[in-house]
Amino acid sequence: MEKQYWQSLEEYKELNKPTVLEHKESQPEFSIEGLDESEIKGQSSRRDFLKMLGFSVGTVALVSSCQMPIRKAIPLLNQPEELIPGVPNYYASTFYDGNDYCSVLVKTRENRPIKIEGNDMSKITHGGTSARVQASVLNLYDDARLKDPRKREVETDWKTIDRDMMMKLEDMAKAGQKAILLTSTIISPSTRELIKEFTATYPNIEWVQYDAVSYSAIRKANELHFGQAIIPSYHFCKANVVVSFNADFLGNWLMPVAFTKQFSSNRKLTNGNKKLNRLYQYESRMSLTGANADYRYGIRPSEESAVLMNLYNEIAKATGGQTNGSHTTTVDVKQAANDLLANKGKSLVVSGTNNLQIQLIVNAINHLLENYGETLDLTRPINLKQGKEADMQRIVKEMNTGNIHGLFVYNINPAYDYADAGAFVSGMLKVPFKVAFSETCDETASLCNFVCTTNNYLESWDDAEPIQGSFSFTQPTVRPIFNTRQFQDSLIKWLGLKVDYSTYMEEYWKAMLDQHQEDTGDFTAFWNKFKHDGVIHHDFDKTDQPKFTNQNLSAQKPSKNGFELVLYEKMSIGTGKYTNNPWLLEMPDPITTATWDNYVCVPVRYADENGLEHEDVVKVNGEMELPVIIQAGQPEGTVSIALGYGRTAAGKAGNGVGKNVFPLMNFKGGYYDVAGNTVTIEKVSGKKYPLALTQMHHNMEGRSIVRETTLPKYKENPSSGNEQHLIDDKNNVTLYQKIDYDGIHWGMTIDLTSCTGCANCVIACQAENNVPVIGKDQVRKRRIMHWMRIDRYFSADPENPDVYHMPVMCLHCDNAPCENVCPVAATNHSNEGLNQMAYNRCIGTRYCINNCPYKVRRFNWYEFVNNNKFDYNMNSELGKMVLNPDVIVRQRGVVEKCSLCVQRLQEKKLQAKMENRELVDGEVQTACSQSCPTGAIQFGNLKDENSVVVQNNKEERMYHLLEHLHILPSTSYLTKVRNKEA
Amino acid sequence: MIIKGFVSRNPWKLQGFFVIFLFLSSLLFSLPSFSQTAETETNFAICKACHTIGGGKLVGPDLKGVTEKYDEAWLVKFIQNSQALIDAGDPAAIKVWEENSKIPMPPNPQLNEEQVKDIILYIKNDGKIAASEIAAGEDETKTPDEVQVEETDAHKLLAEMKQEDARHMKTTFIVMIILIFISLFDLIVTKIVKWRWIHTIIILISLTIGGEVIFVEATSLGRQQYYQPDQPIWFSHKVHSGQNQIECEYCHFTADKSMHAGIPPVQVCLNCHNQVKEGKITGTEEIAKIHDSYNNGKPIEWVKVHNLPDHVYFNHAQHVNIGQLECEECHGMVEEMDQVIQVEDLSMRWCIDCHRITEVQFASNRFYDHYKQLHALIEKGEKSSVKVVDIGGEDCQKCHY
Repeated sequence: MEKQYWQSLEEYKELNKPTVLEHKESQPEFSIEGLDESEIKGQSSRRDFLKMLGFSVGTVALVSSCQMPIRKAIPLLNQPEELIPGVPNYYASTFYDGNDYCSVLVKTRENRPIKIEGNDMSKITHGGTSARVQASVLNLYDDARLKDPRKREVETDWKTIDRDMMMKLEDMAKAGQKAILLTSTIISPSTRELIKEFTATYPNIEWVQYDAVSYSAIRKANELHFGQAIIPSYHFCKANVVVSFNADFLGNWLMPVAFTKQFSSNRKLTNGNKKLNRLYQYESRMSLTGANADYRYGIRPSEESAVLMNLYNEIAKATGGQTNGSHTTTVDVKQAANDLLANKGKSLVVSGTNNLQIQLIVNAINHLLENYGETLDLTRPINLKQGKEADMQRIVKEMNTGNIHGLFVYNINPAYDYADAGAFVSGMLKVPFKVAFSETCDETASLCNFVCTTNNYLESWDDAEPIQGSFSFTQPTVRPIFNTRQFQDSLIKWLGLKVDYSTYMEEYWKAMLDQHQEDTGDFTAFWNKFKHDGVIHHDFDKTDQPKFTNQNLSAQKPSKNGFELVLYEKMSIGTGKYTNNPWLLEMPDPITTATWDNYVCVPVRYADENGLEHEDVVKVNGEMELPVIIQAGQPEGTVSIALGYGRTAAGKAGNGVGKNVFPLMNFKGGYYDVAGNTVTIEKVSGKKYPLALTQMHHNMEGRSIVRETTLPKYKENPSSGNEQHLIDDKNNVTLYQKIDYDGIHWGMTIDLTSCTGCANCVIACQAENNVPVIGKDQVRKRRIMHWMRIDRYFSADPENPDVYHMPVMCLHCDNAPCENVCPVAATNHSNEGLNQMAYNRCIGTRYCINNCPYKVRRFNWYEFVNNNKFDYNMNSELGKMVLNPDVIVRQRGVVEKCSLCVQRLQEKKLQAKMENRELVDGEVQTACSQSCPTGAIQFGNLKDENSVVVQNNKEERMYHLLEHLHILPSTSYLTKVRNKEA
Repeated sequence: MIIKGFVSRNPWKLQGFFVIFLFLSSLLFSLPSFSQTAETETNFAICKACHTIGGGKLVGPDLKGVTEKYDEAWLVKFIQNSQALIDAGDPAAIKVWEENSKIPMPPNPQLNEEQVKDIILYIKNDGKIAASEIAAGEDETKTPDEVQVEETDAHKLLAEMKQEDARHMKTTFIVMIILIFISLFDLIVTKIVKWRWIHTIIILISLTIGGEVIFVEATSLGRQQYYQPDQPIWFSHKVHSGQNQIECEYCHFTADKSMHAGIPPVQVCLNCHNQVKEGKITGTEEIAKIHDSYNNGKPIEWVKVHNLPDHVYFNHAQHVNIGQLECEECHGMVEEMDQVIQVEDLSMRWCIDCHRITEVQFASNRFYDHYKQLHALIEKGEKSSVKVVDIGGEDCQKCHY
């Protein structure tokens, strides 16, 4: 029987109904929920008539009294040399928010940052970004940002703050009263030096680092095994086999951008390469990494250590090591073990569970497989995530006993995201002197006496050392918009130093120069190069890995009872730092395609047995009400809920969205873990909660959309899985003349084998093309405005399905069906193969939307800019500063869609003309292809025989979406190949 | 501020004008065709801000005869960096400096020795083209002035005619409305004229003419041809660009780099007005506004004359650099305008018309090597030249995105 693909469980059920005809008829109808009565019936009332009348008269009056507005042209007083109005400048900088690291280029226009791109020169992130990095520019223009420092909730100036602060610091030091400096993990060497200096001057202050989601078990395990409490650097690129246990390393685990780059470098079948790496994923929820796995196994969190121990025993048996006692589990590890053994030194086992027992077994397996020094490097540790639960537990206890007299909080929000937030808050109330360094008045800052407003990272100076020996530079790309001062400058001020932080940093680096280059003569040249490149990477000689000392390993007995809860960070908003970022709130989750909410993902079988339906409301642990999504691939006996929601002091977009589940974290042991708590689920009968999913929007009616094969089949026959392409090619006849382009024909290829579906491109596109945010209600009405979407399909078994991701944007068909139905020729074809859309000609008939087989066109149902009904970023002066001035903001009533970033094409063409040369392949990039961390999206000129897109189109895997229609899209897809036997 | 001359365009008149204009401007700009001279003229533009050749003293001394007075090597050094000479204690340099109220001449490190020597030659020739090349250009040296005078007259005449036209149109429209009312009144109430077909014909004709007026007026809505707003400073392009012959790109220096030609920052004004504090026409009042602006840190809020709608992307660098258009071709004879007036209507038809007739630098720019089929056609002789329209100059998304 042919493999069946389905987009949602509803569809799966429909597909499995007896006849196809019946299925067609019973397709779920367009939901009219939420529409007004009159909107549904298309009636207009007397009031509507009067409204229309008034509007017409008003328009006539307006037009007849027409006076053009006076537009001002205001030049600068002094124009800096590098600033030319209308020409973008790019600055190398570093994105680091306390959790994620990414080396970036910041595009500024007229000195304001408008777009983040990846920095190709980085040896860690290699020019990749994530959705959060892309969206971080919007945080700079967040209305929730504080405009002045605050003293007891009243705005004040820095002089007052400094005076009060220095007095208090002196007093506390003299009295020997203990104070805590509580920060996120700090990876900046200069800041660490500064904090050291600060705590040396005020020895009563203790510095503690804190992470909302902890990784301390990895550090502890390495301390026990190797004597060093570190996180090694991982080389997924060197591993032929990766076995991952609940580590969502393509989504959120540790350094997702870097790992996605590394992992996908071995997921390419272009240029004659016939090798793929293989990924085994054992996990307790459907994660993005699981969706991309070749073999995926669902396990309960309590089962993980037993599964790992079985894997260890298998490998130990083969290598002659000592086996340990274990328990039987539901999943098989033999195949993974054999694959690992066959790839000794070229494999990698990782676990994302913050549990010492588990991390010890993982280390032991990697040791048996001789992976240290190959795919794992302990000599270049990752400096992220240095927080320890023990420290936090201790200071919370001390705070509650009243031993702490001062608390300084920087870049974190423990009053919201600490697992035992209640204890933290009650402790905080007992601390008399509290200072927050924060951009917004978040949950923690609002409990503090003083709020020292800090700069956004785009306004700050800093350095970073994410991995030992790899340095990264942060430079301001805009002057502080508000009366803010970066954390480091405050510390410097209170130390009584007369420098600013950039000078402090420079001095620090000057002193360290001999560590970075032999010739220490010219510091300025070194410094300028660092600022220009944004990164320094030192290649060390291969040093020996530290010695491995055996530890006792043990496995927990899997529990069979109740629901085990798995909390996770969403690809979009993470741990809650971005909950007020409307772009990220509206980003469809790559797995559930849900926007704007968190929810309980329940297993399919449980839902069937207990009559749970999509959007039903359940009570978690008898108190927290959350809606339900029935998630294919959710392992039996588990439920999962996203962190980061339910904030009360995030800002206008994020307040009150979803529920806060940090209190449900498993914090019984010494290690806080997102998984493992047992919860009860209880249906609230009769209650529904609407969710805005983009899932059923774009149903492609079961045609041959995603094409896939397995590696052995592909090796045998490169066209396997793509046989339909040959048939369609043969049968295609057309009345239309084939267009012959001269010179330039823009085209794109999307390799489904490489694409992980991370949705970074969606946000990159939104930032580049001024795509509006429309809010949950509008998304529910299937009106989401994103120019590109990631279609997600499942196939086979709903309890452990194969998952497919497919980015779809306008494919720019040569025989475009939208073009010949437009009554006003607002959409037509350019001489470069673009299906162009002239917004000003569009009258909004939407015939094109109806006739587009890919459903990639979007209609502006409302004016989304300057409209307070859409209170996100486009209605505020500050929020509008993120708009790309090269792209128009579309008005109400017109259709819009992907333009292949025509503004970027035109810019590069002009540049080539000015430099009197032809375009070079790879020079012209769309926003999506530029930012793609996997290189799945490639863009170029189809008329250039040597371009990557032409080479990709020659692959046997190449096909067009719905190619039987013979509409000749300029974008083609390459079949998905999974590295699976059979 | 009210838009002056809010009138529609007459395509026939304008096209005629356009042809004359192109012809005249081609006469004008065929003159500086020698590369060395053109470059020297550009370089000399900086000097012009303070010096004349035979036109009397401005900030700096009249340069006439300066080449006889000093030897070339000294002049080169002085032009490149006068302050260095003065500091070194050169007596001649100190003398010049003291004679000119100790206002130092700014150094010109951007000019190499060769270029400075060319400038000296240029001064020697009284601001005309280099000696060896005089013969070639002599016949036409007098034409520019005459042409410019004609050109300006044509502008003013046209603008007046347009305003006259508009008045006529409004009158016609009102007359037509009155005629319709009278006929209707007679038809229904007074019934003086017995033949009803007369009423019908009058109404029909009036409707046609009135409709035509509405159509013409409606197409010009939102356009601002002949828009000439008052500016916050009475700045005269005629004085700067016309009389002082300062190149457009001296002030609008981003025109060849960016989409915006750029309104010059105040600091550019001060390059000259640091020293020139009194104007011939406005005295000190207007120039003082520049100093006020700079000293108070408040930029000058100029009124934008040439406005394109938001949905139009226009790039100056593209047109100046690649299209090699002269500023005058779109902005008119700005050097003859005291207050800048928008000469063209900046309508889409006007853009497209130009795209249809303008040839692309197809052979000289390597970018166009992409277009292999067009090159083949040219080689075969089937096509003589490539117009903008041939490479997509009529496509929507070349300008609208």
